[in-house]
Amino acid sequence: MRTIAVIPALNEATRVADVVTGALRYADTVIVVDDGSQDETAHAAQQAGARVLRHIENSGAGAATMTGIDAARRLGAEVIITLDADEQHDTNDIPLLLKPVLQHEADIVFANRFGRKNHIPFIRRLFNGLGNIVTFSVTGRWVSDSQCGFKVFGPRAVQDIQLRMSGFEFCTEIVREAVKHQWRIAEVPIKVVYSEYTLAKGQSFAHGIRTACKILLRSFLR
Amino acid sequence: MQITTYQVLAPLISLIAILYAWNLWFRQKKTLWEVVLWTIFWGIVALIAIFPGVLAYVQLATGIKNQVNAILVTSIGILFFMIFYLVMRLEELEQRQTRIVRKLALRDQGIDDDISEV
Repeated sequence: MRTIAVIPALNEATRVADVVTGALRYADTVIVVDDGSQDETAHAAQQAGARVLRHIENSGAGAATMTGIDAARRLGAEVIITLDADEQHDTNDIPLLLKPVLQHEADIVFANRFGRKNHIPFIRRLFNGLGNIVTFSVTGRWVSDSQCGFKVFGPRAVQDIQLRMSGFEFCTEIVREAVKHQWRIAEVPIKVVYSEYTLAKGQSFAHGIRTACKILLRSFLR
Repeated sequence: MQITTYQVLAPLISLIAILYAWNLWFRQKKTLWEVVLWTIFWGIVALIAIFPGVLAYVQLATGIKNQVNAILVTSIGILFFMIFYLVMRLEELEQRQTRIVRKLALRDQGIDDDISEV
Protein backbone atom coordinates (compact mmCIF):
# COMPACT_ATOMS: atom_id res chain seq x y z
CA MET A 1 0.00 0.00 0.00
CA ARG A 2 1.26 3.46 -0.88
CA THR A 3 2.42 4.97 2.40
CA ILE A 4 3.12 8.64 2.96
CA ALA A 5 4.47 10.22 6.14
CA VAL A 6 3.27 13.68 7.12
CA ILE A 7 5.41 15.80 9.43
CA PRO A 8 4.11 19.18 10.57
CA ALA A 9 7.07 21.35 11.54
CA LEU A 10 7.66 24.73 13.12
CA ASN A 11 11.21 26.02 13.60
CA GLU A 12 12.76 22.55 13.60
CA ALA A 13 15.72 23.17 11.27
CA THR A 14 18.12 21.31 13.58
CA ARG A 15 15.98 18.20 13.96
CA VAL A 16 13.64 17.71 11.02
CA ALA A 17 16.28 16.19 8.69
CA ASP A 18 16.86 13.17 10.94
CA VAL A 19 13.13 12.59 11.29
CA VAL A 20 12.69 12.74 7.51
CA THR A 21 15.58 10.32 6.96
CA GLY A 22 14.12 7.92 9.52
CA ALA A 23 10.61 8.12 8.09
CA LEU A 24 11.83 7.56 4.52
CA ARG A 25 12.91 4.05 5.52
CA TYR A 26 9.25 3.07 5.95
CA ALA A 27 7.30 5.52 3.78
CA ASP A 28 7.28 5.95 0.01
CA THR A 29 7.15 9.71 0.36
CA VAL A 30 7.64 12.11 3.25
CA ILE A 31 5.75 15.39 3.28
CA VAL A 32 6.93 18.12 5.63
CA VAL A 33 4.54 20.98 6.20
CA ASP A 34 6.51 24.02 7.29
CA ASP A 35 4.02 25.99 9.39
CA GLY A 36 5.49 29.46 8.89
CA SER A 37 8.93 28.74 10.37
CA GLN A 38 11.40 31.56 10.90
CA ASP A 39 14.42 29.29 10.41
CA GLU A 40 15.64 26.94 7.68
CA THR A 41 13.20 24.11 8.44
CA ALA A 42 11.94 23.91 4.86
CA HIS A 43 15.45 23.85 3.40
CA ALA A 44 16.65 21.20 5.85
CA ALA A 45 13.64 18.98 5.15
CA GLN A 46 14.05 19.33 1.40
CA GLN A 47 17.74 18.45 1.62
CA ALA A 48 16.82 15.32 3.57
CA GLY A 49 14.51 14.18 0.77
CA ALA A 50 11.10 15.41 1.85
CA ARG A 51 8.49 17.09 -0.29
CA VAL A 52 7.94 20.43 1.46
CA LEU A 53 4.77 22.49 1.65
CA ARG A 54 4.94 25.92 3.24
CA HIS A 55 2.28 27.83 5.14
CA ILE A 56 2.81 31.54 4.51
CA GLU A 57 1.46 32.21 7.99
CA ASN A 58 1.72 30.13 11.16
CA SER A 59 -1.64 28.35 11.38
CA GLY A 60 -1.17 25.70 14.04
CA ALA A 61 -0.30 22.02 14.25
CA GLY A 62 -3.81 20.92 13.26
CA ALA A 63 -3.84 23.05 10.11
CA ALA A 64 -0.36 21.85 9.13
CA THR A 65 -1.36 18.23 9.66
CA MET A 66 -4.50 18.63 7.55
CA THR A 67 -2.48 20.32 4.77
CA GLY A 68 -0.15 17.32 4.80
CA ILE A 69 -3.03 14.84 4.81
CA ASP A 70 -4.69 16.69 1.92
CA ALA A 71 -1.45 16.64 -0.06
CA ALA A 72 -0.89 12.97 0.73
CA ARG A 73 -4.40 12.09 -0.45
CA ARG A 74 -3.84 13.94 -3.72
CA LEU A 75 -0.57 12.07 -4.16
CA GLY A 76 -2.42 8.77 -3.90
CA ALA A 77 -1.70 7.79 -0.29
CA GLU A 78 -3.50 4.72 1.01
CA VAL A 79 -1.81 4.85 4.39
CA ILE A 80 -0.68 8.02 6.16
CA ILE A 81 1.74 8.22 9.07
CA THR A 82 1.82 11.44 11.12
CA LEU A 83 4.66 12.19 13.49
CA ASP A 84 6.33 15.12 15.22
CA ALA A 85 9.36 16.89 13.78
CA ASP A 86 11.23 17.29 17.07
CA GLU A 87 12.57 13.71 17.30
CA GLN A 88 10.28 12.97 20.22
CA HIS A 89 9.06 9.88 18.37
CA ASP A 90 11.36 7.06 17.32
CA THR A 91 10.86 6.38 13.61
CA ASN A 92 11.82 2.73 14.29
CA ASP A 93 8.38 2.38 15.90
CA ILE A 94 6.66 3.05 12.55
CA PRO A 95 6.43 -0.66 11.58
CA LEU A 96 4.70 -1.41 14.90
CA LEU A 97 2.07 1.22 14.16
CA LEU A 98 1.68 0.13 10.55
CA LYS A 99 1.08 -3.50 11.48
CA PRO A 100 -2.61 -3.31 12.57
CA VAL A 101 -3.47 -1.35 9.40
CA LEU A 102 -1.56 -3.64 7.05
CA GLN A 103 -3.24 -6.65 8.67
CA HIS A 104 -6.64 -4.98 8.15
CA GLU A 105 -7.33 -4.96 11.89
CA ALA A 106 -7.63 -1.20 12.36
CA ASP A 107 -8.53 1.96 10.45
CA ILE A 108 -6.52 4.19 12.76
CA VAL A 109 -3.64 3.43 15.09
CA PHE A 110 -2.82 5.67 18.04
CA ALA A 111 0.65 5.54 19.53
CA ASN A 112 0.62 5.21 23.30
CA ARG A 113 3.54 6.80 25.14
CA PHE A 114 2.24 5.48 28.45
CA GLY A 115 1.91 1.87 27.33
CA ARG A 116 5.49 0.98 28.17
CA LYS A 117 8.26 2.14 30.46
CA ASN A 118 9.20 5.66 29.36
CA HIS A 119 10.68 8.47 31.35
CA ILE A 120 7.88 11.00 31.14
CA PRO A 121 7.86 14.04 33.46
CA PHE A 122 4.96 14.18 35.91
CA ILE A 123 3.63 17.44 34.48
CA ARG A 124 3.43 15.81 31.03
CA ARG A 125 1.55 12.84 32.43
CA LEU A 126 -0.84 15.23 34.16
CA PHE A 127 -1.48 17.31 31.02
CA ASN A 128 -2.01 14.22 28.91
CA GLY A 129 -4.33 12.72 31.50
CA LEU A 130 -6.42 15.90 31.47
CA GLY A 131 -6.37 15.88 27.67
CA ASN A 132 -7.66 12.31 27.72
CA ILE A 133 -10.47 13.25 30.09
CA VAL A 134 -11.53 16.25 27.97
CA THR A 135 -11.37 14.09 24.85
CA PHE A 136 -13.50 11.40 26.49
CA SER A 137 -16.04 13.95 27.71
CA VAL A 138 -16.65 15.30 24.19
CA THR A 139 -16.33 12.09 22.17
CA GLY A 140 -17.46 9.36 24.56
CA ARG A 141 -14.41 7.30 23.55
CA TRP A 142 -11.43 6.65 25.82
CA VAL A 143 -8.03 6.70 24.13
CA SER A 144 -5.00 6.07 26.37
CA ASP A 145 -2.85 8.72 24.68
CA SER A 146 -5.23 10.92 22.73
CA GLN A 147 -2.80 13.86 22.51
CA CYS A 148 0.10 12.08 20.82
CA GLY A 149 0.94 13.24 17.31
CA PHE A 150 2.24 9.82 16.21
CA LYS A 151 -0.54 8.00 14.34
CA VAL A 152 -1.23 5.82 11.35
CA PHE A 153 -4.33 6.24 9.22
CA GLY A 154 -5.58 3.30 7.18
CA PRO A 155 -7.29 3.58 3.77
CA ARG A 156 -10.74 4.23 5.24
CA ALA A 157 -9.49 6.92 7.60
CA VAL A 158 -7.39 8.51 4.84
CA GLN A 159 -10.51 8.82 2.72
CA ASP A 160 -12.84 10.11 5.48
CA ILE A 161 -10.76 12.39 7.66
CA GLN A 162 -11.51 16.10 7.67
CA LEU A 163 -9.96 18.27 10.38
CA ARG A 164 -11.27 21.74 11.09
CA MET A 165 -9.41 22.60 14.27
CA SER A 166 -6.15 24.43 13.66
CA GLY A 167 -4.27 24.13 16.94
CA PHE A 168 -3.39 21.25 19.24
CA GLU A 169 -7.15 20.54 19.58
CA PHE A 170 -6.86 18.53 16.40
CA CYS A 171 -5.76 15.47 18.37
CA THR A 172 -9.15 15.40 20.06
CA GLU A 173 -10.84 16.05 16.74
CA ILE A 174 -9.17 12.96 15.29
CA VAL A 175 -10.74 10.86 18.06
CA ARG A 176 -14.06 12.53 17.26
CA GLU A 177 -13.64 11.66 13.58
CA ALA A 178 -12.87 8.06 14.56
CA VAL A 179 -16.10 7.87 16.56
CA LYS A 180 -18.13 9.67 13.90
CA HIS A 181 -16.98 7.40 11.06
CA GLN A 182 -16.85 4.29 13.27
CA TRP A 183 -13.23 3.53 12.46
CA ARG A 184 -11.66 0.50 14.10
CA ILE A 185 -9.13 1.80 16.61
CA ALA A 186 -5.85 0.22 17.71
CA GLU A 187 -3.36 1.49 20.26
CA VAL A 188 0.32 0.60 20.18
CA PRO A 189 2.86 1.35 22.94
CA ILE A 190 5.87 3.31 21.71
CA LYS A 191 9.16 4.71 22.90
CA VAL A 192 9.32 8.42 23.54
CA VAL A 193 12.29 10.67 24.10
CA TYR A 194 11.75 13.75 26.21
CA SER A 195 14.62 16.20 26.27
CA GLU A 196 14.91 19.77 27.49
CA TYR A 197 14.38 20.76 23.89
CA THR A 198 11.11 18.87 23.41
CA LEU A 199 9.80 19.91 26.81
CA ALA A 200 10.48 23.56 26.05
CA LYS A 201 8.52 23.25 22.80
CA GLY A 202 5.47 21.65 24.41
CA GLN A 203 2.25 23.33 25.44
CA SER A 204 2.27 25.58 28.51
CA PHE A 205 -0.40 25.22 31.21
CA ALA A 206 -2.25 28.30 29.92
CA HIS A 207 -2.12 26.95 26.39
CA GLY A 208 -3.49 23.63 27.62
CA ILE A 209 -6.40 25.34 29.33
CA ARG A 210 -7.13 27.37 26.20
CA THR A 211 -7.04 24.21 24.11
CA ALA A 212 -9.44 22.44 26.48
CA CYS A 213 -11.87 25.40 26.41
CA LYS A 214 -11.78 25.46 22.62
CA ILE A 215 -12.52 21.74 22.44
CA LEU A 216 -15.45 22.00 24.84
CA LEU A 217 -16.86 25.09 23.16
CA ARG A 218 -16.62 23.69 19.68
CA SER A 219 -18.08 20.42 20.75
CA PHE A 220 -21.06 22.12 22.38
CA LEU A 221 -21.79 24.69 19.68
CA ARG A 222 -20.93 22.59 16.67
CA MET B 1 -52.62 26.57 36.45
CA GLN B 2 -51.82 29.78 34.56
CA ILE B 3 -49.41 29.35 31.66
CA THR B 4 -47.10 32.26 30.81
CA THR B 5 -45.69 33.10 27.36
CA TYR B 6 -42.25 32.06 28.60
CA GLN B 7 -43.58 28.62 29.46
CA VAL B 8 -44.76 28.19 25.88
CA LEU B 9 -41.80 29.78 24.04
CA ALA B 10 -38.94 28.16 25.96
CA PRO B 11 -40.09 24.54 25.43
CA LEU B 12 -40.86 25.35 21.80
CA ILE B 13 -37.36 26.74 21.20
CA SER B 14 -35.89 23.78 23.10
CA LEU B 15 -37.85 21.36 20.92
CA ILE B 16 -36.60 23.06 17.74
CA ALA B 17 -33.00 22.99 19.04
CA ILE B 18 -33.29 19.29 19.93
CA LEU B 19 -34.88 18.38 16.59
CA TYR B 20 -32.16 20.38 14.80
CA ALA B 21 -29.45 18.54 16.72
CA TRP B 22 -30.92 15.11 15.88
CA ASN B 23 -31.26 16.23 12.27
CA LEU B 24 -27.52 17.00 12.28
CA TRP B 25 -26.90 13.54 13.70
CA PHE B 26 -28.93 11.91 10.92
CA ARG B 27 -26.88 13.91 8.42
CA GLN B 28 -23.72 12.69 10.22
CA LYS B 29 -22.63 16.21 11.15
CA LYS B 30 -22.80 15.60 14.91
CA THR B 31 -21.78 12.56 16.93
CA LEU B 32 -24.37 10.74 19.05
CA TRP B 33 -22.53 11.90 22.16
CA GLU B 34 -22.82 15.57 21.17
CA VAL B 35 -26.52 15.18 20.36
CA VAL B 36 -27.16 13.58 23.75
CA LEU B 37 -25.35 16.46 25.54
CA TRP B 38 -27.29 18.99 23.45
CA THR B 39 -30.59 17.21 24.19
CA ILE B 40 -29.88 17.16 27.94
CA PHE B 41 -29.07 20.90 27.95
CA TRP B 42 -32.21 21.96 26.07
CA GLY B 43 -34.28 19.37 27.93
CA ILE B 44 -33.34 21.05 31.21
CA VAL B 45 -34.25 24.47 29.77
CA ALA B 46 -37.69 23.13 28.75
CA LEU B 47 -38.17 21.33 32.05
CA ILE B 48 -37.48 24.47 34.08
CA ALA B 49 -39.87 26.45 31.88
CA ILE B 50 -42.72 23.94 32.17
CA PHE B 51 -42.15 23.09 35.83
CA PRO B 52 -40.61 26.18 37.49
CA GLY B 53 -41.09 24.33 40.77
CA VAL B 54 -37.97 22.27 40.04
CA LEU B 55 -35.94 25.40 40.73
CA ALA B 56 -36.89 25.00 44.37
CA TYR B 57 -34.57 21.99 44.45
CA VAL B 58 -31.80 24.14 42.99
CA GLN B 59 -32.36 26.93 45.54
CA LEU B 60 -30.32 25.23 48.22
CA ALA B 61 -27.28 24.90 46.00
CA THR B 62 -27.46 28.19 44.11
CA GLY B 63 -29.06 30.57 46.58
CA ILE B 64 -31.62 31.75 44.02
CA LYS B 65 -34.46 32.91 46.25
CA ASN B 66 -37.13 34.17 43.92
CA GLN B 67 -38.26 34.35 40.31
CA VAL B 68 -36.65 37.78 39.68
CA ASN B 69 -33.28 36.32 40.61
CA ALA B 70 -34.03 33.35 38.40
CA ILE B 71 -34.72 35.65 35.46
CA LEU B 72 -31.50 37.58 36.11
CA VAL B 73 -29.48 34.37 36.29
CA THR B 74 -31.16 33.13 33.10
CA SER B 75 -30.38 36.43 31.34
CA ILE B 76 -26.73 36.25 32.36
CA GLY B 77 -26.68 32.68 31.11
CA ILE B 78 -28.08 33.75 27.75
CA LEU B 79 -25.53 36.59 27.52
CA PHE B 80 -22.72 34.13 28.20
CA PHE B 81 -24.16 31.87 25.55
CA MET B 82 -24.17 34.76 23.07
CA ILE B 83 -20.54 35.58 23.88
CA PHE B 84 -19.61 31.96 23.29
CA TYR B 85 -21.50 32.12 20.03
CA LEU B 86 -19.54 35.22 18.95
CA VAL B 87 -16.31 33.50 19.92
CA MET B 88 -17.31 30.63 17.66
CA ARG B 89 -18.02 33.01 14.79
CA LEU B 90 -14.56 34.52 15.28
CA GLU B 91 -13.13 31.05 15.20
CA GLU B 92 -14.90 30.40 11.93
CA LEU B 93 -13.21 33.47 10.46
CA GLU B 94 -9.90 32.15 11.73
CA GLN B 95 -10.68 28.83 10.07
CA ARG B 96 -11.42 30.58 6.83
CA GLN B 97 -8.02 32.26 6.95
CA THR B 98 -6.42 28.91 7.73
CA ARG B 99 -8.14 27.33 4.73
CA ILE B 100 -6.67 30.04 2.50
CA VAL B 101 -3.16 29.46 3.91
CA ARG B 102 -3.55 25.70 3.41
CA LYS B 103 -4.85 26.04 -0.15
CA LEU B 104 -1.98 28.35 -1.04
CA ALA B 105 0.53 25.83 0.35
CA LEU B 106 -0.98 23.09 -1.82
CA ARG B 107 -1.17 25.32 -4.87
CA ASP B 108 2.47 26.38 -4.54
CA GLN B 109 3.41 22.70 -4.76
CA GLY B 110 1.19 22.25 -7.81
CA ILE B 111 -1.00 19.81 -5.90
CA ASP B 112 -4.09 22.00 -5.86
CA ASP B 113 -4.70 24.83 -8.26
CA ASP B 114 -8.31 25.51 -7.37
CA ILE B 115 -8.76 28.06 -4.60
CA SER B 116 -12.25 29.06 -5.65
CA GLU B 117 -13.75 26.82 -2.93
CA VAL B 118 -12.21 28.87 -0.09
